[in-house]
Order: sequence, then structure tokens, then C-alpha cells
Amino acid sequence: MKTCDVAILGAGSIGVPLAYYCAKKGLSVLVLDKEPSWGRGQNRAAIGGIRATHSDPAKIKIGLLSLDIARNMKEEHGLNIEWHQGGYMFVAYDEERERSFKDLLVVQKAAGLDIDWISPDRVLELSPGLNPEGLRGGTYSPGDGFASPLMTSTAFHKLALDAGAEFRFGETVTGFGIEGRRIRTVRTDAGEYSAGTFVNAAGAEAAGLGNLAGLELPVHPDLHEGGVTEPVRRFMEPMVVDMRGDDRSGNYYFYQAGTGQVIFCITPKPQIWGTDTDNTSAFLPHCVSRMVSLYPRLRNLKVRRTWRGCYPMTPDGLPVVGYPREPENLLLAVGMCGQGFMLGPGLGKILADTLTGDGARYGQVFEELSLYRKFEGMELLK
Amino acid sequence: MNRIVDHPILSAPEGRTSVTFSFDGAALSGFEGEAVSSALFAAGVQTFSVHPRGDAPQGIFCANGQCSQCTVLIDGVARKACITPLAEGMDVRTLHGFPELPARDAPRAAVSGETLSTDVLVIGGGPSGLAAAAELARLGLSVILADDKVSLGGKLVLQTHKFFGSEEDCYAGTRGIEIAKRLEEDIRSLPGVTVLENSPVAGLYKDRKAGVWRNYESYVLVDFKALVVAAGAREKSVLFPGNDLPGVYGAGAFQTLVNRDLVRAARRVLIIGSGNVGLIGAYHALQAGIEVAGIVEILPKVNGYKVHADKIVRMGVPVYLNTTVVSVEGNGKVERATVAEVDKDWRPILSTARTYEVDTVLVAAGLSPCDEFYRQAVDFGFLAVTAGDAEEIAEASSAMFGGRIAALSLAKLLGKKVDIDESWLAKREVLKSRPGDNLCRDEEIPTEFWKPVFFCTEEIPCNPCTTVCPTHSIQLKERKGSIMDLPYFEGSSCKGCTVCVAACPGLAMSLMRRVDEGWAEVVLPFEFKADFEPGARLPVLDQEGAFLEDAELLKKVFNRKYRTWILTLKVSRANAPRAIGIRVQSEAATRPLPAPRFEHLPDDAVVCRCERITVGEIVRFIRENAVTDVNQLKTLRVGMGACGSKTCSVLLPQVFRKAGIDPARTTAGTLRPLALEIPMKDLINEAAGRPL
Ligand SMILES: Cc1cc2nc3c(=O)[nH]c(=O)nc-3n(C[C@H](O)[C@H](O)[C@H](O)COP(=O)(O)OP(=O)(O)OC[C@H]3O[C@@H](n4cnc5c(N)ncnc54)[C@H](O)[C@@H]3O)c2cc1C
Ligand SMILES: Cc1cc2nc3c(=O)[nH]c(=O)nc-3n(C[C@H](O)[C@H](O)[C@H](O)COP(=O)(O)OP(=O)(O)OC[C@H]3O[C@@H](n4cnc5c(N)ncnc54)[C@H](O)[C@@H]3O)c2cc1C
Ligand code: SF4
Ligand code: SF4
Ligand code: FES
Repeated sequence: MKTCDVAILGAGSIGVPLAYYCAKKGLSVLVLDKEPSWGRGQNRAAIGGIRATHSDPAKIKIGLLSLDIARNMKEEHGLNIEWHQGGYMFVAYDEERERSFKDLLVVQKAAGLDIDWISPDRVLELSPGLNPEGLRGGTYSPGDGFASPLMTSTAFHKLALDAGAEFRFGETVTGFGIEGRRIRTVRTDAGEYSAGTFVNAAGAEAAGLGNLAGLELPVHPDLHEGGVTEPVRRFMEPMVVDMRGDDRSGNYYFYQAGTGQVIFCITPKPQIWGTDTDNTSAFLPHCVSRMVSLYPRLRNLKVRRTWRGCYPMTPDGLPVVGYPREPENLLLAVGMCGQGFMLGPGLGKILADTLTGDGARYGQVFEELSLYRKFEGMELLK
Repeated sequence: MNRIVDHPILSAPEGRTSVTFSFDGAALSGFEGEAVSSALFAAGVQTFSVHPRGDAPQGIFCANGQCSQCTVLIDGVARKACITPLAEGMDVRTLHGFPELPARDAPRAAVSGETLSTDVLVIGGGPSGLAAAAELARLGLSVILADDKVSLGGKLVLQTHKFFGSEEDCYAGTRGIEIAKRLEEDIRSLPGVTVLENSPVAGLYKDRKAGVWRNYESYVLVDFKALVVAAGAREKSVLFPGNDLPGVYGAGAFQTLVNRDLVRAARRVLIIGSGNVGLIGAYHALQAGIEVAGIVEILPKVNGYKVHADKIVRMGVPVYLNTTVVSVEGNGKVERATVAEVDKDWRPILSTARTYEVDTVLVAAGLSPCDEFYRQAVDFGFLAVTAGDAEEIAEASSAMFGGRIAALSLAKLLGKKVDIDESWLAKREVLKSRPGDNLCRDEEIPTEFWKPVFFCTEEIPCNPCTTVCPTHSIQLKERKGSIMDLPYFEGSSCKGCTVCVAACPGLAMSLMRRVDEGWAEVVLPFEFKADFEPGARLPVLDQEGAFLEDAELLKKVFNRKYRTWILTLKVSRANAPRAIGIRVQSEAATRPLPAPRFEHLPDDAVVCRCERITVGEIVRFIRENAVTDVNQLKTLRVGMGACGSKTCSVLLPQVFRKAGIDPARTTAGTLRPLALEIPMKDLINEAAGRPL
């Protein structure tokens, strides 16, 4: 039976970077995924935003790490992930929104984030043609940006391969061999492998995988659709986020990628639970009509493709990271909600450090994202 | 101006309005409503954009709205030239790199789109879709038929030649364009059918709806119970260096330019592929006054019907078997093409290379079915059938039959009590069939009575010669027991009426009558401009194109019904039984350069045309990243372009093989809407909204 230090279950936004950082630290790594290749779970659905501007310290910390990694990917490894540091801009068209953004700024600044309130003029400078009517300004965090999830996943896969990690695709995890408080082996439909540590990085299916080890995980797949347009010359800089809702949707956000396309997605209201990632007819007309009313210049932009994927949601919108009480060697990296892509690289580094005994400085992250927290409230910038 | 004004078969559409427009600032004129791409070709413009990768010039490829190669800037907006109708005053410009998003911020309110309901949605208004829709409507089902063109008929509207098949079942002997007209009239007279012409289906959704870009200006959803996918086929691209140069395009695009829009799109072409599409392409070129340097075929055998190949060869076009293209080169456009024979592993033998001076290379290397909607529908668990080329690449005749059969099987599934006539199934199979055996015929001897001579030796599904003869003198001789059988002259009652000669779509019949011991009268069909008069001497050829003699023209008559010249020639007694063609192209047009001139850079062939990704780049990527899933090629942007991987996906198996990976082990790319790009303002039906 093949034996390794770490068996990573899921080659997605979380599993692939983690594989690289573990292998780089000298661990022997086996990654298992039921899909035919890497990043084909929800990673392929992410639109590509990477930010540190969250409302809680743990994600801020991970986000900052991820940004650093994304920013340096080209220089450090010569790999293109289409990183573009356009910043994130949350726009406000009403007093209440302005107030809540400004309240949040206090927390975010205290956490050391580069973020500020900007005037309507500055908003329009960053995104010319945005609807000026009633615009009150917004928050802008110039250090945030975006990268291609496909290219990022491919880059980490390549780095992991080169660092010696082994990937086995087309294998579904079907069970664990458990002895006492520890997992000894993981079984798939094609084989059985033993490892010192097992990582649940199964994204939208993390709860099912947890069940196989007798664990209840509060992770529920929440369906979202996204889309991409034709490429045009750069006309806008930041990721634009409109947190307002209407009767059928909550927030929506879009940005112009390094390669010129506008990539967008929306949060349906009410949430759509499930795993059916086939497209529905309602998304496009609705999302597009909201985008054009916010940003009339998009009228002439052609939509090219749309898709659907899941946010692995938790009740409070924060991930679950760390060890459960039992099995004690099943590391959880689940419940990434709408941010798994941006958390992946940073979290990979943190977990690899932790697995090799370098994790002391991340105590607060594990505390805040513990499986045993209260799961109250909802993250403000989910 | 490259307009065809003297086509032997087609007359220029009447009542067209001239309009003026500009290209890169220069004033040009064209016809209102014709495709912008055709107007540009007519004005000698073949480069429509400069690709951001490598500043490469781009021209058309499909002229059918599928590939997105033809994007130009029209009044500041990037649009596909081949599906944009020309209008007075248009400002057309070469698109350099990515377009600028126009700063036109005067929005109108979004209007929620209509949802139309129907029993059956038929996607595609070619022969199969039209036949299916008609059949379903006759059974009392409501039908919406959506087609992306202004006029219905699918590929038929491009086909100026007479059709094979049988007259009673599928209008054999009639030209495609005329069949299209009849089918369109038929469908429009049926009450249960709503036709959404000029309206591509852009996506299928899990909630059993289709999104339709209606009139290319608004977006409607169609809620259907069942689906017929009859979207036809698209041309396959071929991998050779230079395959992305303006001037390399599909044979279907060529037909569109030349036959539909009457544009003399080229001066001299080389054709890749000897299927019927390639063979007919050569024929259409000659009819339009365009030279054909030759047809290359990598296989050891002509792929299309022998009667087609024979007639092409007789017109002076060589067909080179076991031969492939190794390179197409030129400064920003096609200037020359180099071909070479291949070894048993299909690798070019460079020592046999020959270079031809051509300005156009037509790709006719087969078609691939537009079956994406069908595959998706099956995935989604919808009630769906497919017909015509979308089901299996064949002929218009079998497409019509297939459409009817598909309609009936669908109606059955929808709970209608119907019986499918068993004989239809058999007929469809026959009509779809590949050519059968090539048989020998005894040489005929001229007698004092008229008699038809057949140069139709290969079994194909065809019989108009038997049905048009007023004296029933021509019969199929039973061998297979279907219309695959070959025709023979029975009895002695031929009146010499020449109808069979005019009707034969293969131009594979003559009539012959001995006049005295020395010579005979021979009647031949001729579908070119007959700018000669009795008394002239014409070069007469045999079935394989070998020169027989210069024969005196005795008489020429135009058969209006079949739009074919009937020529009577005075041919020597010895040659009369073998005379079947008249050379129209001189040998000079087919001569290669004295020495080959090319670079051999096979890795430079472009696979993904939208994103300009080459074979070499993909092979390297596959190797470096251990790729077996086509989806991963998206990292290179393969398949991420405007066409949605319609063009490159069929080429990828070859590329995987080249990278040492068995294509059978690879995972196909995922299909997602939209099938074509739609501007946001149309998705929200802005045109119907009030100004904001
Ligand atoms: C429309 C949309 C837009 C988004 N935009 C963003 C964005 O801009 N930024 C951002 O950060 N995030 C975004 N997200 C969220 C992001 O996609 C997810 O949070 C992230 O992909 C989750 O990462 P993961 O590694 O947990 O899961 P995944 O990437 O899904 O990886 C989990 C893997 O586990 C495998 N697996 C599951 N069960 C088994 C099993 N039993 N056996 C073997 N393998 C198994 C799966 O096949 C999968 O490959 C978006 C999501 C959607 C739907
Ligand atoms: C170059 C060429 C030459 C040929 N020569 C002959 C010949 O000599 N004799 C012969 O019998 N057959 C010939 N054929 C074959 C014959 O034309 C086809 O077999 C026949 O037209 C197939 O009919 P169809 O209805 O399946 O498809 P088509 O005729 O291709 O019709 C499909 C229609 O669907 C439309 N469509 C596609 N996608 C969409 C969408 N998303 N939404 C709406 N509409 C859509 C297409 O634009 C088209 O109008 C030739 C074909 C080609 C390409
Ligand atoms: S020439 Fe007329 S009569 Fe003679 S075989 Fe042909 S169709 Fe029949
Ligand atoms: S001779 Fe008859 S069967 Fe042969 S191609 Fe002509 S019409 Fe068809
Ligand atoms: S040439 Fe216009 S879309 Fe293909």
C-alpha cells in the first residue's frame, strides 16, 4: 500500500496549493480527486477575485498571504496567472451602505489593511462610465486584485509536480480505515492509501467526506452562476462590488481581467442549495440587467460564456480550518464559501507550516475558524 | 470590383440597393443587406483584423457566424462581418487587437424578455429542420423553428448544382437553391409553425428553456417540451503552418461568397480535401471564373462521388492523391501553397514538394456535426432528437428524410399515435450511403439511332435519369435493389430529347448517334458560359480527363428547366463513345513553380484560431503539465475564444496524439452557454425599453 506523510483529499482551490507547500517543505504528498484533473470542482467556477479586505482578522491574514503569493508568482516561478492588481471597490448609493462601509473601515484599518473611502469622482476615475446618479463614493483597497483561477491552479499543480507531489485523478474517496482516534488509511474506488495526516479539502462535498469519518461538518453547497464577456481594452481598474440587493438577488460583482474580459457573478436570493451545476435561464438576463443599470457602458459588451458552481457555505460565512477532536489526524480545510480561490494559496502555506511544526504564529486563525466555534452572525462582506 | 456578373447558372439578385460605406476611411460601395464580409471581399479586402497575439492578420474562415474570425469594427463596435448586413454609411475598420468599449452610456431601461412556449423547438432551418418542423406541425404539434439566417434552407442556399437522390423523394436533379425556396414556402404555409428566422439559439438551460437571440437584437426564452437539433455541420479546420493566413478558409465560406453573394473571392485556389464538398468547390470556382490549381487528398482514393471527381478532372483540375499541404505562405495573405506526397504514416515526403502560386486555400477536409445542443439536451434529460448533418454528415436528401423520421419518433415520444413507414428508414439509409462499387461498362457502339451513353460507373444514391425519360428508356439494373443501382439504356426507343443529359447531376451522360462511318453526333451537358457558336472547335475529353480531339460544335441549346447548355458536337467515330467532357481550364493554371519554395514549420500550425494557439505550444504544455483533460488547455486559452471551441475541439485529438497521449484517454471539454456572443443590451432587450 502506498504510504505518505500527507494525503490531500480534493485537488481544488485549497488542495493544489497545499500540495505544493507541503511538498516544498519536504513532506511526501498524495493528492486524490474524483475529477479527471486538478481544479475541476469549484475552483473552475471562481471568477478570480483575491482580496485581503475581509471583515474578520483570520481571513484578512490569509488574504494578505495569498495576495503576496499571487503578486510574486511570475517573478518567483516564471508562471503567468494573469495577476492584475486592480483593487476592490465597494460602491455606495445610499446613506446606510455608506455608513456600514465606513464602520467597517475602522476594523479593516486596525487590521493594517490598505483601504480607504473614496469620493464619487475617484470612483468614476477608476471605473469610467459607472452610473453617477446617487453615487456617494465607495471603499477602495488598491492592494487587492484578481488572477485566473484556471491558471493559478495549473501553476500550483505544476509547482507541486515539480516538488514531487503525486496526484491521482479519477479516484473518489469512499471511506476511511479508522483505528481508535486516528485515520490509518483512505479508501477510494481504485485503491487504499495510508498517511500520517489526511486533509479534507473536498470543497462542496466536504460534509460528505466528513461523514465518512463520522464527522458532522456544517458545509452546504450554495449555487452561484458566473459569466465572462469578450475581451476589450482596459477601461476599468477594480473589482466592482455592489452590495445592494433586489427581490431576486443580493450582491453582485465584476472586474476586468488581465486579458480584457469582464468576469461577473451574482448572489441569488433566496440562496439555491444543491450541487446541480448546470446553467439556468434566469441568471443571465437578471445579472446583466443589474450590471448595465450600475454600469451603462457595459451595454455594448458581449457576453461570451456562463457557468454555475457552488460556494461551500457555512452558517456564518467563515471557513472551518483545523483539527477536529476526532479523528485527530483529519485536518479540515473546508467551508471556503465564496472565497476559496483567494484563501487557497495563503491557507496552503499556513497549513504546510503547521504540518511541519512551524504553525505557532497562526494560533488566532485556527481559533477563529475552529469547528467548535458558535457559527453566529454572518460575515459582512461575504 | 470582384463581382460576378456573368455566372452561367446564377443571375444577380434583382432590386438590390447600392449603398456606400467606408473601410479604414476609404469610401466603398456594396449592396444593402449583404454580409459586410462579402462587400469587403468584393472590394478586395480580405484582412479584417490584426490579432493581439503576434500582430497576425485575420480573415474569414466559416462565413457562417460560427468561428468569429471575421470580426471587424463597425461603427465603433466589434462585430462579425459575415453575419452583419451592410447598411448605408457604415464606418467599417480593421480591428487592431482588442476593441475599445464604446463610451456610449445613454442606456434604456431593461425589459424582461418574453418567454415563448411550444411543444417542440427545432434548432436549424436547413433541409432536415424544415422537414422535421413540417411533419410535427402536420401531426398537430406546435413548433418553433429557429434559424440563424435571414432565409431558410441551411446549406441548400449555397448549392447551385443539381442534387442527387431521387426526384420523387427529394427533388433530385433540382438545384439546392431552388429546393430551399420550395421548402421555405411549404413551412410558411403551415399554421402550427412559428419561424424565428435570423435568430440563433444561443443556449440551452437546465430549466428546459432555450435562449434565442431574436433578430440579433433581443433575447427571448423558449419553453419547450421537446427538442429537434438540426443545426447542420461546420467545416473542420486543418493543421498546417499558415492555416491562419487571410485567404485560408472553408469551402462552405467560399460557396457563400461565390454562390450566395456572387463575389469573385479569389483568382486561383488550391483545395484541400476531395470529398464532395471539395470537388463541388472546384466546380463552383470554375463556374465563377476562378482558377483551381488542384485538389489535394491525403488518402489514396477520392473521397467524394466518382462522377463529381470525373467531371472536375475533365474540366482540367488535377486531383492529387496521397498528398497533403505542408505550408501556406505569404506576406499577410496567401501567396503560395506547398504540397507534398505522404509516406505510409502520412508524413510529408519533402523531396516531392511542389509550390503553387495561389491566393486562396480552401479547406474541405470534412465536416463535424453541430451537435452540441443535442449532447447537452441528453445530459439534461430532455426529450430530444437530432437529424441531418447534426446527426451524421451526409447529403441534403437524407437530411430531409432524417428530419421526417426524427419528427415522427419525437411525436411518438410526445404521446402521438404515429407509425413510421418502414420504407422511409430504408430510404434514409440508402440516401446516406457512401458510394458502393465502381463497375465496368462495355463500350457503346454508335448506331444510326440516338442512345444515351453512361459515364456513371460508381454506385451512388441517384436516379433522375430514369425518372425524367419520357419513353422510360432508362432503368436501374437490379444489383442492390435500391437507387444505388446503376442506370442502363433499355430498348431502342430513345427520341434524343436530351432531358436525361440535362437532368443528370453528375454530368455523367451523353447521347450519341452515328452519322456516317467516320463520325457521330455527341450531345454533352455544359454548365459554363457558352461563349462560342456552332462551327467552333472545342477540346473534348474522356471520362478521366484525357484529351480526345478538338470537335466541331454543331448546335447549342439552353435547357431552361435545368439551367444547362446542351451542346451537340461532331466527334470522330472512334472517340464518340468516350467523349464526355469539354476542358474549361487551361493547363497553365495548374502548373507549380519551377522549384518549391517553402519553410517546413509544422509546429506553427494554429489549432485554436480565436486565441491563436499553435500545435507546438499545446504539445509543450501537455507534456510539461501532464495534461489529459481538455479543460486544462484553457490555461493556454485554447477553446476560450469567441467561437467556444467549435473550431479547435475536433483538432485536439491529433494534438494529444502528437504529445504522446492516446486521445481515447482524454476528457472532453465542458459545454456551456452561450453558443455565440451576445451584447448585454440585447440580453436585456434594451431596444424595447424607454430611455433613462
Ligand atoms: C460563480 C462563482 C464565483 C466565485 N468567485 C470567487 C472569487 O472570485 N474568489 C474566490 O476566492 N472564490 C470564488 N468562488 C468560490 C470558490 O470557487 C470556492 O470557494 C473554492 O473553489 C472552494 O475551494 P475548495 O478547494 O474548497 O473546493 P474545490 O475547488 O471544489 O475542490 C474540492 C475538490 O474535492 C474533490 N472531491 C470532493 N469530494 C471528493 C471525494 N469524495 N473524492 C475525491 N475527490 C473529492 C472535488 O472533485 C474537487 O476537485 C466562486 C464560486 C462561484 C460558484
Ligand atoms: C459545402 C457543402 C456542399 C454540399 N453539397 C451537397 C450536395 O451536392 N448534395 C447534397 O445532397 N448535399 C450536399 N451537402 C450536404 C447538405 O447540404 C447537407 O447534408 C444538408 O444541408 C444538411 O442539412 P441540415 O438540415 O442537417 O443542415 P444545414 O443545411 O446545415 O442547416 C442547418 C441550419 O441550422 C442553422 N443553425 C446552426 N446553428 C444554429 C443555431 N444555434 N441556432 C439557429 N440556427 C442554427 C444553420 O445556420 C443552418 O441554417 C453539402 C454540404 C456542404 C457543407
Ligand atoms: S434522350 Fe430523352 S428519350 Fe433518350 S434516353 Fe434521354 S430522356 Fe430518354
Ligand atoms: S447517370 Fe443517372 S444515376 Fe448516374 S449520376 Fe446521372 S442521373 Fe444519377
Ligand atoms: S467567418 Fe464570420 S464567423 Fe466565421
